[in-house]
Amino acid sequence: MIAHVPDEVTSHLLQRLSADPAFTVVSCTREEEGVAVLAGGYLGGQKGALILQGSGVGNSLNALASLAVAYQLPMLLLVSERGRLGEFNPVQVPFGRALPRILDALGIQFFSISAPEEIDAVVGGASELAFSGLVPVALGLSTRLTGGKTLK
Amino acid sequence: MLPLLGGAAVISNLGRNTYDLYAAGDRPQNFYMWGAMGCAVSVGLGLALARPALRVVVLDGDGSLLMNLGALATVAACRPPNLVEVLFDNGAYETTGGQPTHTTRGADLAAIARGAGIERVATASDLEGFARAIERALRDEGPWFVLARVEQATSFARAPRRPISVRDRFIDAIGPA
Repeated sequence: MIAHVPDEVTSHLLQRLSADPAFTVVSCTREEEGVAVLAGGYLGGQKGALILQGSGVGNSLNALASLAVAYQLPMLLLVSERGRLGEFNPVQVPFGRALPRILDALGIQFFSISAPEEIDAVVGGASELAFSGLVPVALGLSTRLTGGKTLK
Repeated sequence: MLPLLGGAAVISNLGRNTYDLYAAGDRPQNFYMWGAMGCAVSVGLGLALARPALRVVVLDGDGSLLMNLGALATVAACRPPNLVEVLFDNGAYETTGGQPTHTTRGADLAAIARGAGIERVATASDLEGFARAIERALRDEGPWFVLARVEQATSFARAPRRPISVRDRFIDAIGPA
């Protein structure tokens, strides 16, 4: 199950996921919804991933803490980084630089991916950690990997 | 309502609904929430999508749903026929002392549900009307939004707060897909 709020950087990935019948893709109005949707999906037996911009994690904190972490409901968070290398929007900076420490404070492990060669090993390892370790796990999609937003 | 449920999954939002659900009938297919205010309907949506053959009933409150109105649009967009959102509207944030919510100031959650795109919306203001609405919602294809105006009350029963036990008991009770 894939929950997401639309984002330019991951739009190609979302298109492919939406076209693939193996995935249930839910477009949410707010990232917090997505955490809860995936929690429900996991209770129903479906593993899932939330695909979101870094700032969207800010919209998800209570659900992450008091639902995903508190009930140990695993999920992957694929976070396209904002407020980091190459950021053009000043208001994205405060949360973007805080994000790794916020996730750490919540006890959610965070692994950044900077190059295509890293994807298989990191995503595979993160999936194992999440669904066997029974914890949410966050993966940062660095602007070095994705090129960042082009629509400024 | 409970005798009508069969094996349906019930998700109760934090506060009054979790306390009342536990008091009225603790059962392994109840998923009690004690946090993530606003998220009950979304948990129900995810579960309903993952398990199309399972009827999923969410017991929600006005204070909670007002935090997450966008979720109604997502429910409408996904159109899960097996989801029933029951909104007990007591016009108050009961477990923080009874402060009024905006449903006492003009917010109409049934209208909002319709406006979000949910077609099957029912409103009940007495027990009989509620029983009829729930029977329909459990029988006919949804997604359903059933709004019941209720009084404030002080619920004394407290479900033991054991989220991980609840998770395991619930997953075992609803079984595999």
